Amino acid sequence: MAEPPRVPPEMFRFATTDRADLNTAVLYAFGEAGERLETALTVEAVRERLRAVGWYAPVGEQELTATLRQLAGWGLLDVIFNHAGSFATAEEYERKNLQYALTRRGEAAFAGVQHATAVLASGGALQTAVLDAIAHRLKELESLLRDPDPGRNRRIFASLRELEGHLDGLRDNTRQFNGELQRLLRVEGSDLTTFHEVKGATVAYLQEFVSNLEQRGDTIAAALRAVAGHGVAVLHARALDGAGLPKMPGADHATPWLAARAARWEALCRWFAPEDGPDGRLGDGPEGRLGDGLGDGLGGGLDDGLGGGLVDGGLGDGGVPRIRRLHDVARRAIVSLLQVLDRITDSRRRSSSAAADFRTLARWFAGAPSEDDAHRLWDAAFGLGPARHAHLGHADAELIPAGVPWREAEPVEVSALLRSRGRTERMGRTGKVRDVVALRAERQERAGKERAELEAAWSALATAGATRLSQLGELDHDTFGRLLDLLGRALAELPDSTGFRRAVTSDGRVEIVLRAPEDGAVAVLRTSEGWFRGPDYLIDVRSPGLARPCPNGGAGGAPVYHERAAGE
Amino acid sequence: MSSLANQLVRAEKEEIARAIRTLLGRPLVSLHDDAAAFDLIRKRRQPLIQWFDYFCGWRLVVEPRQGYARLVKVRSEASATRPARRRRTTRAPFDRRRYTLLCLCAAELLTSPVTTIGMLAQRVVQAAAVEAGVPAFDPVRSEERAAFVDVLKQLEHYGAITAMDGATDSYLDDEDAKVLYRVDTTRVIRLLAAPVPPSRIAADEPMERVLGTLTSEPRYGGDEPTETQRNLWARHSLIRRLLDEPVVYRDELTPEQSAYAASLAGRQIIRRAAEEAGFVLEERAEGFLLIDADATATDTKFPDDGSHAKVAALLMLDLLVSAGPVRAARVDAEAAELLRRFPQWAKAYQSDGGGPRLAADALEVLELFGLARRTGDRVAALPAAARYRVDRGTAVQEDS
Repeated sequence: MAEPPRVPPEMFRFATTDRADLNTAVLYAFGEAGERLETALTVEAVRERLRAVGWYAPVGEQELTATLRQLAGWGLLDVIFNHAGSFATAEEYERKNLQYALTRRGEAAFAGVQHATAVLASGGALQTAVLDAIAHRLKELESLLRDPDPGRNRRIFASLRELEGHLDGLRDNTRQFNGELQRLLRVEGSDLTTFHEVKGATVAYLQEFVSNLEQRGDTIAAALRAVAGHGVAVLHARALDGAGLPKMPGADHATPWLAARAARWEALCRWFAPEDGPDGRLGDGPEGRLGDGLGDGLGGGLDDGLGGGLVDGGLGDGGVPRIRRLHDVARRAIVSLLQVLDRITDSRRRSSSAAADFRTLARWFAGAPSEDDAHRLWDAAFGLGPARHAHLGHADAELIPAGVPWREAEPVEVSALLRSRGRTERMGRTGKVRDVVALRAERQERAGKERAELEAAWSALATAGATRLSQLGELDHDTFGRLLDLLGRALAELPDSTGFRRAVTSDGRVEIVLRAPEDGAVAVLRTSEGWFRGPDYLIDVRSPGLARPCPNGGAGGAPVYHERAAGE
Repeated sequence: MSSLANQLVRAEKEEIARAIRTLLGRPLVSLHDDAAAFDLIRKRRQPLIQWFDYFCGWRLVVEPRQGYARLVKVRSEASATRPARRRRTTRAPFDRRRYTLLCLCAAELLTSPVTTIGMLAQRVVQAAAVEAGVPAFDPVRSEERAAFVDVLKQLEHYGAITAMDGATDSYLDDEDAKVLYRVDTTRVIRLLAAPVPPSRIAADEPMERVLGTLTSEPRYGGDEPTETQRNLWARHSLIRRLLDEPVVYRDELTPEQSAYAASLAGRQIIRRAAEEAGFVLEERAEGFLLIDADATATDTKFPDDGSHAKVAALLMLDLLVSAGPVRAARVDAEAAELLRRFPQWAKAYQSDGGGPRLAADALEVLELFGLARRTGDRVAALPAAARYRVDRGTAVQEDS
């Protein structure tokens, strides 16, 4: 694309000075006059017309003259000396002699202002009617072209201009609409319902537009092809003829006119049938690229914010008509709008109520009668407060039955140092580290005792070779418990081929071999708690790792103290 | 004979108990703040959620990915003794101004996932300006900025905002400090625990009504509860108090709660709750208390040497328990006597009026732990104070 157009210097200066209002009003006065085909105005006439364009503030002679002179200085007005009038006095001559007229630049500036305000005021739309109109004009052109009568050329010209007008309308409106769409996606409506309505309406509108878009696009593309079949050059030549441009020596109006038509045609093709390009595309000159540029502007616009709707046009976009892309973009917009709508509605509904909650709380806090009330409100509303508990208890809580009054129960043990009146440093040192030496020693002692008891029990049971159960005779209760455990383990095993059952305690230190008595004898064992009667099993208890009280050794292993023999 | 399975069961029980007490002590446990505790809660969240729901009807929300666990505590009675505290060494409680700013900030934080300290301050200025009854916020003044920073640090502590660039403290000196925050909006919302949204309550209600309405829970049937709902309420409200308060006296209970506490089922449930949470239940004629031996579930300890007031409180307690209800002046005199006897001790109180100040602070400690009560001019020990009485004869004689 060529570099951006250059605005002549100072062309729009008039709109930026502190007299911008008056400047603009004066330009409007000239514009108004131009429509009535009055091209030159005196100072007096300007003053009269100011009223007509809605400028009522008083303007001094000097001020108005200065304004006119300033505008002339910027090249927007021409000063013309009127010698044709009749003047009675010298003063009148000086005043009326000077007339002002808009220059080309002035006209352009005025048109710019008008256009700018119009764009500001208008809203974009996607109009299916415009698409229909384009199709109609194309069909009309096609039928006109079929008639070689030069008398038809004027009609061809008119149709062509209408067609171009509709295309411009489509392009402008689409661009504007897309702009609004993107703004809509960004905007954060403060009022949820309005927000909802606007977006809902937009989605409905888009759906309506999209519904028959494809079909309309195809119709237009077909019509385009039909017209192109007659030759675009022919079309333009006949339109030129029908246009009846003024023939002025020294100025070639026809060439730029034709170039402009070609550019428009190119744009039309890009929109509806780019693959038909070779016929319609006259654009290997700079004019051809102009059309590209316009189209690209739109493409970029639609693309913006919709996640790659239209790939940048350029020369490589042949193949896919813009109208198809518009279709895609519209559809994607519907989807994303609906998503955004959902998301926003959702998050707003939730966070708006939470925000309202916080604001309400802020009001309450600010208006709390006292600090204590504020603390209680904090506690009730946020529930972030910690629990609070005593940490000193009795060594054995079970010793004091429930339901005793506190006064009668033993007091808990409070560090004596804590009571030694005010000596916080020492308390600090002693309070932090708990002395666990005694506790550990006590635990060790207890563990050692248990172990010793256990080993004593095993030792009492250890047999020197196979023994009858009945031979054990009297046992103390603990040892008897161990014996039962061993018998249980052995009986849980299946007997081997020789009828022996073997089992080992879970720590692997004691082994028992048991055999059911063949004679069916019954053994009776006495303990301190009672007596036991059962089959008089033949048992052999071996505890290879234990000290053995019986001097004649065991069958199982060497008498090693507190150490397991290797391999056991 | 202990097997591996048994040990696992015991470890699990122990972990659950620890997690329960951690959550009671800190209803919002964050990964960024205490990774080990959060990990434990995350791992045991299923039984924990059930535990809190069954015993006290509190909702526990664990967000494994977002990195926080929130115990939504609803107290049966709002207490003024657990204020939010500034995240500074003084740990001074929040004032109304800070609470107000905290709420305004929270409301404004909900609008965007990322913000800077300046933008947030600006929004709070605007919000304070339109909110009726809320004083204007003026970040130009340094004490206002200090309050604002306290609030933001609190929010950072909860993990509601995270400073991605810069430090909040820099705002104290410089109004143009640049701090970029990421906002965890759901966590901001989770800060609110009230079962009734505040915005649904008419703003002009008096504070007492507001507090009552905020914490009313529909699951207990409101004004006309069914039998089941009443039972549920008795259980939950009683255990809530037990889990949160240092002492629960029988004469403070409602008839339903008393009946529940006296019933066989009630006693069993209380016992189970205490045991499963790793507390020791102390049940006496006058009431109950839970002992948390490793002080996980408590914000402060007593008896303790953490402050002069606490040491004094323990000594005051001896007077109160042995001498019965005394006049406030007697307590003041005792404190003054202490200060006189130990001139090197408690320097902050060694000035005019130090005695009454020390006495007041000590009494506050005792009140926090439900050990003493002040009615008018008289100060009386409450029954549980007898736990800490001196056993005459066995007391160690001090050597100075």
